[in-house]
Amino acid sequence: MTDTAAKTPVLEIRNLHARIEEREILKGVNLVIPQGEVHAIMGRNGSGKSTLSYVLAGKEDYEITEGEILLNGESILEMEPAERAAAGIFLAFQYPIEIPGVATMTFLKAAINAQRKARGEGELSTPDFMRAVKEAGAQLNVDSAMLKRPLNVGFSGGEKKRAEIMQMALLKPSLAVLDETDSGLDIDALQVVSKGVNALRDGKRSMLVITHYQRLLNHIVPDVVHVFSDGRIVESGDKDLALQLEAKGYADYDGQAA
Amino acid sequence: MRPAFPVRLGIAEETLIAQLKAAGADQIAERVTVAGLPTRRVEAYHYTDLKTLLRTIPPLAQPANEATGTALRVAGAYTLSIVNGVVQNAATAPEGVIVGKTHGGVLTHRDDTLVGISNGLTKEALSLDLKGAIGQVIQIDHRIEGEAAHVADATKIFVADDSSVVILETFSGSDAAHVGNHASYIALGKNAVVTHVTVDLGSRSTSHFATNEYHLGDGAQLRTLVVHAGSGLARTHLFPRMEGAGAHADVTGLNLVAEGQHSDITMETTHAVPHTSSQPLFKSITRGRSKAVVQGKLIVARDAQKTDAKFMHQGLMLSDDAEILSKPELEIYADDVVCGHGSTCGKLDDDSLFYLLSRGIPKAEAETMLVRGFIAELIDPIEDEALNEALQGIVDGWLLGDH
Ligand SMILES: Nc1ncnc2c1ncn2[C@@H]1O[C@H](COP(=O)(O)OP(=O)(O)O)[C@@H](O)[C@H]1O
Ligand SMILES: [Mg+2]
Repeated sequence: MTDTAAKTPVLEIRNLHARIEEREILKGVNLVIPQGEVHAIMGRNGSGKSTLSYVLAGKEDYEITEGEILLNGESILEMEPAERAAAGIFLAFQYPIEIPGVATMTFLKAAINAQRKARGEGELSTPDFMRAVKEAGAQLNVDSAMLKRPLNVGFSGGEKKRAEIMQMALLKPSLAVLDETDSGLDIDALQVVSKGVNALRDGKRSMLVITHYQRLLNHIVPDVVHVFSDGRIVESGDKDLALQLEAKGYADYDGQAA
Repeated sequence: MRPAFPVRLGIAEETLIAQLKAAGADQIAERVTVAGLPTRRVEAYHYTDLKTLLRTIPPLAQPANEATGTALRVAGAYTLSIVNGVVQNAATAPEGVIVGKTHGGVLTHRDDTLVGISNGLTKEALSLDLKGAIGQVIQIDHRIEGEAAHVADATKIFVADDSSVVILETFSGSDAAHVGNHASYIALGKNAVVTHVTVDLGSRSTSHFATNEYHLGDGAQLRTLVVHAGSGLARTHLFPRMEGAGAHADVTGLNLVAEGQHSDITMETTHAVPHTSSQPLFKSITRGRSKAVVQGKLIVARDAQKTDAKFMHQGLMLSDDAEILSKPELEIYADDVVCGHGSTCGKLDDDSLFYLLSRGIPKAEAETMLVRGFIAELIDPIEDEALNEALQGIVDGWLLGDH
């Protein structure tokens, strides 16, 4: 890798505006995440954090009215969600979807192989696939009983979140967006999930960790913390910014955003 | 019921009456003469008006000179064939299976024109006496070969007490405007466990009619799966009768309809004695301008207390031009029962689709996964692996537009 390539950020968002049903939700987001860094976005409920995550993953419902999203220097705005995934974006959903009738293992295999195919790699053999699933499952306490169920069906809140991180471990994205991965987790589950996430911090993979509690950031310590309010980033700082927010709340930012 | 004025008969009805008279089926010939083919005013045919849909009736079938192979091969199955209404000689039957023939129709007489025609025109029926745990799938392959033909054929099956079997009936044939009128009569002895799968793979020009009658003794367990995946017009009329305490039936079915097709599953389940249960579950998937119908009637007799029965029909529209019609009906004469019904209809769920896409699964594959997921409840309980795969293959083929 040349020096210039190394300096290209994994994610660069420029003045991003997005609306849904005539209502503007994202109002000029600017964000740069260099390779290997973990950035946190904190903001109160309804400020547009999940919207940002969906727009990154390519959900159709949103209209991008202005701005640009670059993944490793390339615009992804025209890319389908599946192409974005193959290009390295992974979204751990705030509310993972239950899909009855679709076996978890069938889904995992389809996802891994589709991404490999899109990248011009061969299919994973069944033994290699089983080994990878077993390994990732062991790390995240996802047992074989869970894997035998239909996708996310009947999973508790915590099981769903563990399963999301397990998918991330299997799909090895270059940019992981974790939307409120801590919500609905008790302290034990939070530790399992954080450990799983931290194991995937390898100095190359970048992450965007969305939360509205500081708590998660004690476990997944970010390089940079951004404060999100009314559809944009209003302040950025190091991990101590999260602690200040926890002490003072978001009130200071309310007027500023308007 | 004799209308004040005789109905105007069409060419189809004239042909049918002549065929019935020639076969000596005077009673049903008289009925068709007076009332014609069932119209939408007959409840059970409300969405499948045969007077409008059946414009011609082809000549009665001649024995076929040549026969194509079965439309659905299931590894390991013991296969029997009925070609153009003629029961074919079969290979040596597995242990516990006695194959024979009976004369005439097999259905219980009832107020239904197609049942009357079946009984009137069926010359010989395939009969099976089944005993013990039969490991091999028994396939009865119905085919209509050659020029367009009107065929009435039938099977009559007795499953002995404490016996178990999986029976598959497949329907296919040459690409011609056939009219098939197929009857299946299955009696389940005490604690018998039976899976009965019927699959229509007829050509688009074919009209497929089937009547399945089931009698369940004490503790008998029936799973039935009707799949309409071929004929331009397909209708299966199911009559399960729960006649012994502890009997349970999972009555299931799947309409797969594409451009120009019309499929109808109509069920009338009777809970005749106390302590029986049934779980009717039907699904319809539509593409193009097409129509899928499911009607489900639950009848609970006066002293059939503790009946537990729930009818469900779920529709999945893959196009905007299709129609999915659903009609549940409860006729309950007992007071201590749990009965219900429900219908849903929708498109593929956007959030589910996005979830799969976000994992890198391309759109067409993701949609296929969701459709497979939608019908998994129907296919998964078919435990025989080869049969399960064959059924999955039909669905996948349909999704690819093969038939
Ligand atoms: N489908 C939608 N239609 C209209 N408004 C929406 C829709 N989804 C989200 N919103 C609105 O967008 C705003 C931001 O929501 P969201 O991105 O979920 O915020 P956060 O994740 O920060 O809690 C909220 O006011 C929410 O009501
Ligand atoms: Mg959110």
